[in-house]
Amino acid sequence: MALTTLWDVAYFLASGLLYVVSRIIPPLSGVLSNGDLVWGLSALVFGAILLAASMINTIMLIWFERKMLGRFMDRRGAMHVGYAGLLQNFADGLKLFRKNTFKPRDADGLGFYAGPTAYMVTSLLMFGVLPVSTGWSDGSLPLSMLLALVIFSFAPLFIFISAWSSNNKYSLIGGMRSAAQMIAYEVPILLAVVAVVVISGSFDLNTIVSEQRNYWYWGPLFLAMIVFATGMLAEMERIPFDLPEAEAELVEGWNTEYGGMLFAYFMLADYVRALAGSILVVLLFLGGWTLPAYFPAALTSLPLAGIVVLMVKTYLVFGVFVWIRAALPRVRTDQLLRIGWMRMIPLSLASIVFAVFFVLVKCIPVLGCVPSMGG
Amino acid sequence: MVAEVEQKGRSKPENADGLILKPLYTAARQFAKSLIRPSTIIYPFERLEDPKFREEVAIESGRPIGVGQVWDNYRGVHALNVNTCISCNLCAFSCPDLCIDMVTVPGGDPKHPKKCPQIDYGKCSYCGFCSDACPEGCLSMTTRYELSTPKRAEMVYSPQKMFEIYQRKLPMNPIRLERPANEDSILLDVPLCIGCNACARDCPTECITMIDIPKANPKPGEKPAKRIWKEPVINDSDCVRCGTCISVCPKECLFWGTHT
Ligand code: SF4
Ligand code: SF4
Ligand code: SF4
Repeated sequence: MALTTLWDVAYFLASGLLYVVSRIIPPLSGVLSNGDLVWGLSALVFGAILLAASMINTIMLIWFERKMLGRFMDRRGAMHVGYAGLLQNFADGLKLFRKNTFKPRDADGLGFYAGPTAYMVTSLLMFGVLPVSTGWSDGSLPLSMLLALVIFSFAPLFIFISAWSSNNKYSLIGGMRSAAQMIAYEVPILLAVVAVVVISGSFDLNTIVSEQRNYWYWGPLFLAMIVFATGMLAEMERIPFDLPEAEAELVEGWNTEYGGMLFAYFMLADYVRALAGSILVVLLFLGGWTLPAYFPAALTSLPLAGIVVLMVKTYLVFGVFVWIRAALPRVRTDQLLRIGWMRMIPLSLASIVFAVFFVLVKCIPVLGCVPSMGG
Repeated sequence: MVAEVEQKGRSKPENADGLILKPLYTAARQFAKSLIRPSTIIYPFERLEDPKFREEVAIESGRPIGVGQVWDNYRGVHALNVNTCISCNLCAFSCPDLCIDMVTVPGGDPKHPKKCPQIDYGKCSYCGFCSDACPEGCLSMTTRYELSTPKRAEMVYSPQKMFEIYQRKLPMNPIRLERPANEDSILLDVPLCIGCNACARDCPTECITMIDIPKANPKPGEKPAKRIWKEPVINDSDCVRCGTCISVCPKECLFWGTHT
């Protein structure tokens, strides 16, 4: 059996595990060879690998941001735990894990505890949808891009729930801002995505990426990429659109009342979303796991090459987000709305028009040709 | 209309150029500059005293600004020369934070133990009064500033520890207050003195000698007493004005005053 996809690896591990167990306890071998059991266990292993990979990447992303932000501020960032502070975030996580989580007296228990958990879980769901390489998942979802965007926009709901139930005015204001902010960025994001759909002819992320093997969409759809990335910044609630957190006004925004592990949930989920958002930008506009043609084909056919390429691109995109964070001040709500409705929507409409034009004329001298619209 | 008024009030119109690109450019320049070596040093492993930093700062500012070099009156941890300390207690008297304890160190005789200052840096405010007060110049302040320790007890520096610092010959604070020449002296209220020898025994500079005097004014008809009375005489030029004699006198017959 060729281990080409992650599912194959999980299946291999699961059946190997069951085989070992049935050799150790022979009477169970009849039960253990049941096909459904193998399938179920492989699904669990699949999920576990995915979870571990995404968590490790998320933590590395935090490290990356800390180091980069440090340089922007003429500092060095984390230095002393592990090589160049690589293990600092694990240490921080351990510290938060050991802390007491307590609930304010007047907070609503259910919402207070369910909010962060749901926020974390829905953020992690993203990685079930995003393909990170050709061999990542077996089944391809025909509408995976829409699914990804839907999962992405769950967050304000849970933020609002946890903010409201923590019974604190700062939390509540932060939660309301988070919910209100959606109005500004969701529409431009979807319009920008429409431009991608027009050119690629598909809602499936796998197809969108494979359509980009000849040329990446950031050329023809540069405007849409700017709009999408800006919208993603607002979606992730990162500076300059971190109105819901606005430390100067709202203490810590919607997670003011949270401490210990619950705070760690919020923190991690924020970066999970940052990672997913950067991956989404790469998948839609920067060619996903493909490399330009002038790279030797031998390089791209190496095992795991696709994942490495995608991750490098993702970290570069996230680096740009950090750069923006280091440079720009926070905007006001009205400014955010004005940016969303008066700048981003016209730009994305323009790029839809351009995409339609591009598809109609098929070829544009500098930008190249639309590949066959087979997908 | 409101919007128009707002627009007029602005000194510069908001544009992408000034509000987005310029900060991005500034940040990128900063990033590129500090990518090789940020200005922040990795403190416990690198120090501003290191020659390379010293040079850098000296070059950039045109003069050493107390980095790597020490200002004349820098006041850090004390250095104590135990050998020349005369146990006069003046440092402990002058300390405004009461952080100096006089503790016994080896080297004195059993009757007259040698005591040297022990400083609690948890309380010390680095005022330098003690080193100004020290008549022998054996307590001075160095450039050492690193004191952090996991235990509070380790903030108390024994005389031996400060002697070790002294032996390392760190740069020391050379500024000392000049002690005024014609201070008050120790005067004796003669009729009260019982000649007990306590002051002479405890004087750190041994400038008190007990001289014999006859008992003053024997009553008429009485035989002069056989016993020889003693009285302290203080050598004013050797006296360091520590006040020890005053505090040990059982009859409170010594006091500060001016020779007339
Ligand atoms: S420096 Fe000042 S506070 Fe510190 S021991 Fe000397 S007199 Fe006391
Ligand atoms: S003032 Fe100087 S000589 Fe006197 S006890 Fe203190 S350190 Fe010793
Ligand atoms: S003040 Fe008294 S004890 Fe101190 S040096 Fe002078 S005479 Fe001696």
